Amino acid sequence: MDEFELLRYVTIGQYLPTNSLIHRLDPRVKIVGLGMLAIVIVAQNSAVGSLLGLGIVLALVALARVDMRLALRNLVPSAPILAFLALLQLGFGWGARTSGCLAVWSWGMFNVTICSIEAVIALLARLVALVLLTSLLTFTSTLSELTRGIEWLLRPFQRIGVPADELAMVFTIALRFVPTLALEMEKLLKAQAARGANIRGGTNPIARTRQMLPILVPLFINTLHRSEDLAAAMEARGYTGGAGRTHYVRLHLQRADWLALVVVMLVVAMLVAIGGMK
Amino acid sequence: MTAVDTLIRLENVHHTYTSTPPIAALRGIDLTIRAGEYVVIIGANGSGKSTLARHLNALLVPTRGNVWVDGHNTRDASARRAIRATVQMVFQHPDAQLVATRVEEDVAFGLENFGVPEAELADRVRAALESVGMWEQRQRAPHLLSAGQKQRVAIAGALAVRPRVLVLDEATSMLDPQGRAAVQTILRALHQRGTTIIAITHEMDEAALADRVIVLREGHSVMDDTPRRVFARADELRACGLDVPPLVEMARRLGLPVCLTTDELIAALRQRAPALRTNPVTPPSSPPRAAREPIIQVEQLSHWYLRGLPLETRALENVDFEVAEGETMGLVGATGSGKSTLMQHLNGLLRPHRGRVRVLSYDLGDPATDVRAVRRHVGLVFQQPEDQLFAQFVGDDVAFAPRQFGLDASAVRERVRWAMQTVGLDFEAFKDRLTMTLSGGERRRAALAGVLAMQPQILVADEPTAGLDPRARAQTLDIFRRLHTEGTTLVIASHRMDDVAALCSRVTVLNDGHTLAHGETHDIFARVETLRACGLDVPPIVHIADALRAHGWNIPPGIFCAEQLVAALGGT
Repeated sequence: MDEFELLRYVTIGQYLPTNSLIHRLDPRVKIVGLGMLAIVIVAQNSAVGSLLGLGIVLALVALARVDMRLALRNLVPSAPILAFLALLQLGFGWGARTSGCLAVWSWGMFNVTICSIEAVIALLARLVALVLLTSLLTFTSTLSELTRGIEWLLRPFQRIGVPADELAMVFTIALRFVPTLALEMEKLLKAQAARGANIRGGTNPIARTRQMLPILVPLFINTLHRSEDLAAAMEARGYTGGAGRTHYVRLHLQRADWLALVVVMLVVAMLVAIGGMK
Repeated sequence: MTAVDTLIRLENVHHTYTSTPPIAALRGIDLTIRAGEYVVIIGANGSGKSTLARHLNALLVPTRGNVWVDGHNTRDASARRAIRATVQMVFQHPDAQLVATRVEEDVAFGLENFGVPEAELADRVRAALESVGMWEQRQRAPHLLSAGQKQRVAIAGALAVRPRVLVLDEATSMLDPQGRAAVQTILRALHQRGTTIIAITHEMDEAALADRVIVLREGHSVMDDTPRRVFARADELRACGLDVPPLVEMARRLGLPVCLTTDELIAALRQRAPALRTNPVTPPSSPPRAAREPIIQVEQLSHWYLRGLPLETRALENVDFEVAEGETMGLVGATGSGKSTLMQHLNGLLRPHRGRVRVLSYDLGDPATDVRAVRRHVGLVFQQPEDQLFAQFVGDDVAFAPRQFGLDASAVRERVRWAMQTVGLDFEAFKDRLTMTLSGGERRRAALAGVLAMQPQILVADEPTAGLDPRARAQTLDIFRRLHTEGTTLVIASHRMDDVAALCSRVTVLNDGHTLAHGETHDIFARVETLRACGLDVPPIVHIADALRAHGWNIPPGIFCAEQLVAALGGT
């Protein structure tokens, strides 16, 4: 029904202004904190540890006052692959062949044991937790906060020649123009369809590519024109690179940020300890 | 004038683009701009206006000659920062100049670049956003704003820098009447506080508000005078592809001197009162249309964008819309009122989320309907021609639709020839032209030809004259008139009320996704307050007629074009 609505699929950088505790944290704390959580959760290999990790992430999502269904939406496209992986793990993976595990169901090569059920639960819990963590970062921080955070974290590398300021600007502009390009593409597709092009037609990849070509050429040309205009506008507004710029979004760590860091450290330590128990 | 007053000086400025073939955009411009002036630059598409604007803040340097801004030569690379802090610019396309992902951060961009201390940033951003009335929207993402709002943010970004000169390069051409009026108000306030304004425009009535009008033609400055004296030379302006504002045209036809405001016109008419009497004019009789079948029927249509997502927005709610066979229907509404959404339902690009859409014999709510068949009969012309020219050569592009619908080679050729001729592009001369090298007006006509090549029964056009100079605009209106006499049913969406007045017999008004009113054009234009309340306006002639009535002239109702009013006043 909404075949041309490309923005529907562009969820990158979708910020949800619910103004929760997590929204108000310093972006650097969020990037470092959620990054560390992601690492220790991935490193969990027990079902208990993974579920605990997932539980912590779900608590954070609730704390951020983000609609749980919306957060889980990002999982929908990868659901078939996840289901397939889970099935493989269940019947053939780690735990299915381990001796001393109670067999639950067996059919030829397919062998389900208590251990393999545990392993599947651990796998799914970790994956869901990881996806939720990533969404949580973009749901609770604006792109510019993220950019400023990344810029600051990259600063130590400026000495070895990493242009942190310019990289951050490239990042901002790229993300700023994702929705603009999606809208541009939508207009081109519609203009073609309006003149009789059968956009949906056929499963033949060559035919489909040939159909896309007349859209890609104007998209490319329009994008070039746009970037020329943007460059002129940036120049006119005095942009000459990172040197000598000041910053509107200012970062300063407050008590809540330090507190959050301490809490994250404790949780990470706990998860490391649990992960090490097995 | 002392030398101190001179802010910008151009001395024999030439600029040639090193394309193949080279294009000489400016051919010797001499110009002095003094502090505090309000200058408007007019000229046809391709006359060198934008090139000139880009010399004023060192985005371009002359290939010959010199430009001085506040004592700095623009060739001096070390002075560019100072020059750009003095001269800020607002561009035509709102999308191409907003850099950041949030409004307030975008406004801060220029300040950051010029190294304004961080402690000052917040206050200056706030002051700039408040002066354009966008402070409430500071947290929003630019791509979710309307064109008018984006342009106000762009102006705020320039104002925050506190420039001495503000240059606007057709900054209002994409805006609806309310958006344009808002920008004009901001500019007048700035000018009163001493900012020098240099505005490039296609709108002749905007030029009438300036202290000084400069007319460009093929890279030369051919007139440079007060608006009153420039508009006295109507024939010369027409030769440049331009025109005079409606008021000036009225006065001219009545044999009066140039009038820049309605008050002046009334004063001039009073002086001449004995010579002018009001003629009893029969109001335009509406053609009997009861017998004609509705060819488009939209009932209770609702549509949402991003339905089911957190950013879901309602675009249309319970919209009713009906068009009879062979008529020309005007669809008016401010930006964001739902015009484009409604139009895209007429050829099945969008399907109704609720309600009914019937076009010809097709029910577009039925998923089984063959939308390609519908699209063959309903041509849709989008606002930006850049979005609908796909092929490298004009001929191939116009042939796109006939080929899609499987016509054989000779039939395709005939269709292309016919379509190009209809829009006034010579088949032999243009079929092998590169689409990229067409001028603004030609591009618009090529895009129209590409849709006409389907020989649609119904033609739907979105803002068909936006951004065109007066001559190209008149040519476009002529094409639509001809299509109407040949029997094509037309739906014209526009926020230019004079286009609607010139073409449409009936008008539907959309406001915030609802049908606000529909009826005969002259009835709709009698409802000034209703139109104003939804960000629109009536054609300038309606204002003049109202002002005359208020001063005791006996002007019959239903007058919305210059010819009618001149006739009513007994002129020729």
